[in-house]
Amino acid sequence: MSAKLPPVIKIASLHKTYYMDGGQNYPVLHGLDLKIEAGEFVAIMGPSGSGKSTLMNILGCLDKPTRGEYYIDGVLVSKMNQDELADVRNQKIGFVFQGFNLLMQRSIIDNTKIPMMYLGLTGAEQDERAMKALAHVKLTGFETRLPTQISGGMQQRVAIARALVNSPSLLLADEPTGNLDSKTSDEVMKIFTDLNREGKTVVVITHEPDVARYAKRLVYIKDGLIKYDGDVKKFKAGANG
Amino acid sequence: MDRRIVIARAVASEAWISIKANKLRSFLTTLGIIIGVCAVVIMVAAGQTVQNMINQQLSGIGANLLIIRPEFTTQGGLRGGTQSIIRTNDADAIRNVRNIIAVSPMVMTTRQIAYKSQNFATQLIASTTDVAKTGNYEIESGRFFDERDMRGAVPVVVIGSTIQQELFHGADPVGEVIRIGNVPFTVKGLLKTKGQGIGGQDQDAVVLMPITTFRRRIFGTRIPNRVQMIMAQVSDERFIEEAKLQIEVVLRETRRLKPDAENDFIIDNMTEMLNTIRSVGLYLSVLLASIAGISLVVGSIGIMNMMLVSVSERTREIGIRKAIGAKNSSILMQFLLESILISFIGSMVGMVLGIGLGQIAGAVMGYAVPISYMTVLLAVAVAIVVGVAAGIVPAMKATRLDPIEALRYQ
Ligand SMILES: Nc1ncnc2c1ncn2[C@@H]1O[C@H](COP(=O)(O)OP(=O)(O)O)[C@@H](O)[C@H]1O
Ligand SMILES: [Mg+2]
Repeated sequence: MSAKLPPVIKIASLHKTYYMDGGQNYPVLHGLDLKIEAGEFVAIMGPSGSGKSTLMNILGCLDKPTRGEYYIDGVLVSKMNQDELADVRNQKIGFVFQGFNLLMQRSIIDNTKIPMMYLGLTGAEQDERAMKALAHVKLTGFETRLPTQISGGMQQRVAIARALVNSPSLLLADEPTGNLDSKTSDEVMKIFTDLNREGKTVVVITHEPDVARYAKRLVYIKDGLIKYDGDVKKFKAGANG
Repeated sequence: MDRRIVIARAVASEAWISIKANKLRSFLTTLGIIIGVCAVVIMVAAGQTVQNMINQQLSGIGANLLIIRPEFTTQGGLRGGTQSIIRTNDADAIRNVRNIIAVSPMVMTTRQIAYKSQNFATQLIASTTDVAKTGNYEIESGRFFDERDMRGAVPVVVIGSTIQQELFHGADPVGEVIRIGNVPFTVKGLLKTKGQGIGGQDQDAVVLMPITTFRRRIFGTRIPNRVQMIMAQVSDERFIEEAKLQIEVVLRETRRLKPDAENDFIIDNMTEMLNTIRSVGLYLSVLLASIAGISLVVGSIGIMNMMLVSVSERTREIGIRKAIGAKNSSILMQFLLESILISFIGSMVGMVLGIGLGQIAGAVMGYAVPISYMTVLLAVAVAIVVGVAAGIVPAMKATRLDPIEALRYQ
């Protein structure tokens, strides 16, 4: 990489507080600073309830921070309106969920096409890209199946294909292997590794150290603060309380 | 191509896919609109048929007519006893009133008429040439009797199409000679067919002749110059009331009524009566259509209900779509189009069904049921209005869903 590109993700003193109807506040994130450069593979770990998903939802532009700034590719997204955020989600981010989140009545290929539909691509282009993405996750031949007719691991691969079709700069995955056995988990994580090798920036939330090991960099969150940010191999569980 | 058009088309096809995915539910919902639109279309057609029938029957009467007829004379403040007498000279007096363009004193009686061996009993009307205007008679062939016939009391008649059928079996009667009693009359003209009158009577079973001819050659009334009524036609609807007042003044003068005496004649404003009859017809159609409209309202509530159910069932789908980049406008459009498509299909099917049933019913009952472009416009308008009205609330509900909340929904 020659010319200095802006980081894919840059957050500065990011706060998130949930406001309840009853008037109580739940402060969850207490000022996070984080930079992720293009081509990185980052795992985010932390105990349950530490705010990982809250952070991921903000990174995925599904939610807005209460305070602080968030830049994607150098563009400030934390002040964008709903339509602009929808475009960012559609074009800049590929999101993979723990529960796959496929449309259960629609075929594998239809599910893969939905992001392209909201991008406004023509049918022919949609077909071409969908076939390519499905080939990438080794699902060629399953195009017309329904999600209920394939295994969980395959469903997650459909979700990854769907996340890839609009060529986003960033792949985000919140516990993508949480619903999968260890063998399928490995398959899914190998796909993320391959994608990272091809140049995609990948951020994965997990609470399994085995899964985190696929990443190069680890960010450890506890009580809404970053407690560790560095090489995966140098992180010792329990050492950072 | 514009990106937004491509997206809009894709969103429309998503709407269509979800309609197809729930075939039974979509069909039942559509049925509500089909029934509603069908009912409205039939009722509108029924109303129009009734109005057409009324108009056709009223067409037998000339426009802007005032009818002058006798009143029962008052005796000691009580009505009853003898009828006053209207005479030809009353008609002559009315002729001078401003804005009066035709005056026809009318003698009406029933007579047996004969042609060769054929006999037929029919209404005989004796009047002036103006009766062509006041009675709205048009000539099919030959001519109407004219002023010269009037002056010379020439034995000529003009006959209606029923007489042509009965006496001449449809052949051209002009120039033929018929007999009334023993008197021969030459048929001068044949009238255009009018059809049934308001009371259902045959308006074409009629023989017209000059009143002078009637007096000289038939003489049916005990009192010379007596007529049953006078029809007076006003040039324009605006002048009717004024003309009515003028006629009253003129008649009181001709009839030498004392200033404190009540009128011994009645002047009816036919236009007023016709308008009343027509408006009854119109109110009837509106009433029928409104009642049918209720079923349409029920049908659209059905769509709204289905859409609300659909939105809550598909909360998660909406969350997924938003999470992968659907704008609020795309979500709104998807659900609104779903509702509009259902109501559109329902309206079109209902319209075709309604028109078809109307035609069948008309054919069975022997009425000409009109198919109006209004019906088509109405169905299209209903499709859009109902679709939007029933779909907007559910679609807004879908649009407002927070993607994170929606994704959590099981
Ligand atoms: N929508 C919400 N409203 C209120 N509190 C929430 C909401 N989402 C998450 N929380 C709370 O915020 C904290 C962090 O949650 P989350 O980010 O899901 O943690 P993690 O993913 O690390 O398990 C938890 O205490 C959770 O109960
Ligand atoms: Mg979580």
